[in-house]
Amino acid sequence: MSDDPILEVLEDLLKLDDIYACMVARKNMVSVMPDTSKFNPKIMDVWDIVSVAMKNVFAVIEEYASVGLDVMEFRLKNHSVLFFVIPNTSNALVAIIPSLANKGLIEVEMENARRRIIEILEGKT
Amino acid sequence: MSELKAGVGLSRKWDAREAGREVAETALEKLEGEKPKFFLLFSTIHYEKYGGFQELLNGVWEVLPEGTPLIGGTVAGFMNNYGCFARGATALTLFHPNMYVQIGFGKGTKRNPTKAVQNCIHSMQDKSLEREKEQHQGLLLLLVSGPLAFKIPGYGYRKFIDSDLINKSVKHAFRLSHYLLQKGLGREDEVFEAFVKRKSHCKMILGTSVDDYKGISNYLFFNKQVLRNAVVALNVEIPDAEIDVCTTHGMKKTGIKFKITKISKDGHIIHEINHRPAVSELYDLLGWSKNFLNEETILHRILYYPISVNRFGKEVPVVMPAIIKESIITPCLVNRGDASIMTVNGLDLIDAVDKGFNLLQVKKPAVCICSACLTIMQTLGYRLDTVREKVDSHLKNAPFVIFFCAGEGSYSPKRGVIYANMSYNFGVIGYQ
Repeated sequence: MSDDPILEVLEDLLKLDDIYACMVARKNMVSVMPDTSKFNPKIMDVWDIVSVAMKNVFAVIEEYASVGLDVMEFRLKNHSVLFFVIPNTSNALVAIIPSLANKGLIEVEMENARRRIIEILEGKT
Repeated sequence: MSELKAGVGLSRKWDAREAGREVAETALEKLEGEKPKFFLLFSTIHYEKYGGFQELLNGVWEVLPEGTPLIGGTVAGFMNNYGCFARGATALTLFHPNMYVQIGFGKGTKRNPTKAVQNCIHSMQDKSLEREKEQHQGLLLLLVSGPLAFKIPGYGYRKFIDSDLINKSVKHAFRLSHYLLQKGLGREDEVFEAFVKRKSHCKMILGTSVDDYKGISNYLFFNKQVLRNAVVALNVEIPDAEIDVCTTHGMKKTGIKFKITKISKDGHIIHEINHRPAVSELYDLLGWSKNFLNEETILHRILYYPISVNRFGKEVPVVMPAIIKESIITPCLVNRGDASIMTVNGLDLIDAVDKGFNLLQVKKPAVCICSACLTIMQTLGYRLDTVREKVDSHLKNAPFVIFFCAGEGSYSPKRGVIYANMSYNFGVIGYQ
């Protein structure tokens, strides 16, 4: 278990079968990321292209987060990448899931994780 | 009624035993030292991999007073006073000095639902046969083992089968699977109808056990036992309490009508619509191209166009969870005759909560239990909290648990049997 509470939130999320990888990131920078050895190996063949695509998405997040952009998603090959924007920061909670995953159920836990991260950032813990 | 105390428990721990302990501790602390009259436990399927459900129950029983009636099961997720969750465990427990509680179970629901109900009712009757005859009006919660997919060799678990090669053999296997493997549909509608026949004076809420929408495994809890392919029931009676149940869904009519002209012998497969192969005709009615549905898109598209079938003179909205070539599988029994297509969206699903509370005739709700379709959770995703806020506001912070399952309904002598997919089924105990 880590001393970083945000890392704990991410490691908790990563235990869900259909979350192959997750992190808190911003444009050109990963803010908090679990040990990549804990990521599902199935993402390795798309990791490079997903990383590039993510950078482009963060340009959009950076521009529209201040006017209410809340959640973004893109699909690439057999994967979906979910971005849950952390308000008042240019960061987002990012998760890579299989495109056939039951996204609604995953979103419920992503939202719980986002709320927890916001609490941590606001110093409520 | 002021003597009624209710506790809602929650655990987000991963370890099954620790979660069991914590969910019991957090629920019981709200009873302020009173001994619980029953314990209702719901958990997500994750504990299957983190210690197992027997360990979850062992954890609960480390805390729960010996002899407390307990039922429950696995669900896709739940919401309660603390939030919305797709992982973890929740519990609802009540105390009232004059509360009367019965629990029971029957096995073999997929093979013979009627016999399972008989056994369940028999196991509930052992306390006081005289009391049974008095027909007190209580709230009866029924939990039935939900659907289980069977693996098709070479194909795995599939919802959409387009292959001519395996089409006939899958349909044949589907028919036999209930009896031989106890796999396939939950048959919860048949369990429900059989219960209503025997307990027509009660108000009932129906729910099913499921996993995380995969349909591979699910479990029920009865005291210290973990059950599969069963029904468990909890009957609660409180003198002077107001109890009401209702079902709402946000479905709207599309105006598209048709006739179901050929069904399977067991009533679970629609073979023909308007005397044409069912799936081709459905595509034409909806204006969909032939390749609109496939394994990836079926859940995202067809679930939002449920069909409304007629059963006992009532419209029953049912989803079409699987397609085998030209045939449509339905989760409940269907009859030949008139049917129509409905539609629903996320906003309708949120608004249905208000409709439900407007129907309920309990002025001061003290506690609420609700079964809801897992597709609501799947559809609303991270916006599910909107529903929770509405429920909380209607209940004025009274304790509640809503569990998400795959087959739900309600019954009251006034409103009759309502089995409806994509619905909320509220059961409220309160006072005037």
